[in-house]
Amino acid sequence: MKYDFVVIGAGVSGLTSALLLAKSGYHVAIVEKSDQISPLLRGFTRKGVHFDTGFHYTGGLGPGEPLDIIFRYLGLSDHLTTFHFSEQGFDIFRSIKDGFEFQFPTGYELIREKLVAGFPDEAKAVDTYLQMVRTVCASMPYLNIDIDFNETSLLQGLDDRTLQETLDALTANKHLKALLSMHCVLYGVPPGEVSFSQHACIVGNYYQSAMGIRGGGLSLAKAFDVRLKDLGIDVYCGSMVSEILLSPEGAVSGVKLANGTELACSGCMSTIHPVTMLDLLPEETFRSAYSNRLRDLKETLSAYMIYAVSDRAIPFLAGSNLFVFPDVDDLSNMGVRPLEQNLLYLTAAYKGTESEPMGFIGISPASFEQTAAWKNSTTGRRPDDYRVFKDDVITRLKCHIDSYCPELRGTMTYTEASTPLSVRDYNNTPLGGLYGIKHMVGQRNPFPVTKVKGLFLAGQAIVSPGIMGAALSAFISCGNILGHDRLRKELRACS
Amino acid sequence: MTDQEIVEQINISIAKEFELDQDTLTPETTLFEDMGLDSLDIVDLVIVLEAAFSFKIREEEAIRKIQTLGDIHTFVINKKREQENKA
Repeated sequence: MKYDFVVIGAGVSGLTSALLLAKSGYHVAIVEKSDQISPLLRGFTRKGVHFDTGFHYTGGLGPGEPLDIIFRYLGLSDHLTTFHFSEQGFDIFRSIKDGFEFQFPTGYELIREKLVAGFPDEAKAVDTYLQMVRTVCASMPYLNIDIDFNETSLLQGLDDRTLQETLDALTANKHLKALLSMHCVLYGVPPGEVSFSQHACIVGNYYQSAMGIRGGGLSLAKAFDVRLKDLGIDVYCGSMVSEILLSPEGAVSGVKLANGTELACSGCMSTIHPVTMLDLLPEETFRSAYSNRLRDLKETLSAYMIYAVSDRAIPFLAGSNLFVFPDVDDLSNMGVRPLEQNLLYLTAAYKGTESEPMGFIGISPASFEQTAAWKNSTTGRRPDDYRVFKDDVITRLKCHIDSYCPELRGTMTYTEASTPLSVRDYNNTPLGGLYGIKHMVGQRNPFPVTKVKGLFLAGQAIVSPGIMGAALSAFISCGNILGHDRLRKELRACS
Repeated sequence: MTDQEIVEQINISIAKEFELDQDTLTPETTLFEDMGLDSLDIVDLVIVLEAAFSFKIREEEAIRKIQTLGDIHTFVINKKREQENKA
């Protein structure tokens, strides 16, 4: 069996790549080491409540917005029921130290209105910031399909400023700065490291609209399942790629699976961690400069997560997420603070496709170092002292939530947790990065094109994290094969 | 660092990271034809220089103009002198 393309990894970037290539008539296979495609999107269920692990909400999915156009183009929309988070406050910001609270709305006009009402002396800073975000989003070829396509600069980001530098130049108001940088939690890089343009590309979508999918990420995974079948894509689940095979001339000629099966192909889209990809190729494939560059890439923050089932509905989280910050002053060392002094993100969990939350997920940033003592253990086979550690984390998280979220006090009838180790093993990121490799000023992430003929890269490391970032990475990578102008023209037809 | 030391450090780092024979490197060596680099390698080159000299390169225009190894020598020497003057 010979394929035109084999896609490695059936996460959102791999699935999107497979659909894009198959839609263009290529014969495509996708290989996934888990038993089903998109394990992270699927989440898990406890006591009838479904907990999302890879998808909680997204920006840019409102009618006519970038992700909506992408989902329609991929044929996913017909299989999904979406819902809006609260326009008046999709994300609630709460600062413990000074009791400051703000309901962050969606829609640029409403955001401006509420921010200026809250900070009357800062109207100019608010206007400048929002205009800057809009300008960045409008200049990105796949966020704005109407602009001319310019081959993205190979040296992009070299002269970029950080979000922190940008905000410091706009205002001295620490509460306003905290509100404009609170969403760094959604990509796992502190404001002092992330470039303003990267931040803008992500938050700009949430500023347009914030939406959820009924049934969560599982519904999206099922929609992908349907489309893979529709387009005749061969799916190899429970299979790991052990080698990317090269011809004598050094071009991709196939992939070898761990069970010995060889799939011949003339192209390969790797959506796994770039360092894991290196290990699939002979050592001499890339020059050391490139291999070392990939090996030195830094990962995003990891996290502790608590999954709580409630015996009563939690309407408070039905259309809003809660961001609890210990102090508005400092978001710089999120990963290394003790849990009690760290920020906490809370989002709803539902029974099936019901609309009343019957549980919630709490996420607190952490570093892999905190669980490094057990790094040689694997899921389901952790030593006893790790279980003791994890129980302690659950107790502390529950206590933290009880203290600062009175709305949730007494609702937790059953809880489970995950740690940076779980994130490592389910996310397949060597250091438990919640969003894979980070995008930061001074770090040059890999390009979609590689020096190996026929080998392309997509995934969070390439463009940006989240459903949107992963999908965009597939478009940007496949655009090198299918033609960016053609892809964008076809997207325009869906807008 | 003297200019000569900087030039040597550049040649050592580039030879090692791009797997080239250091003896063949002269200021006239061109990046694209002689060293066989292409546009994909330029970011790797920037990272190698940053690591070797502990500075960050943000000058996109200056990097784009580089054609020969001698251009790299001049770029890094200027950058180091700039850094020393700031200190």
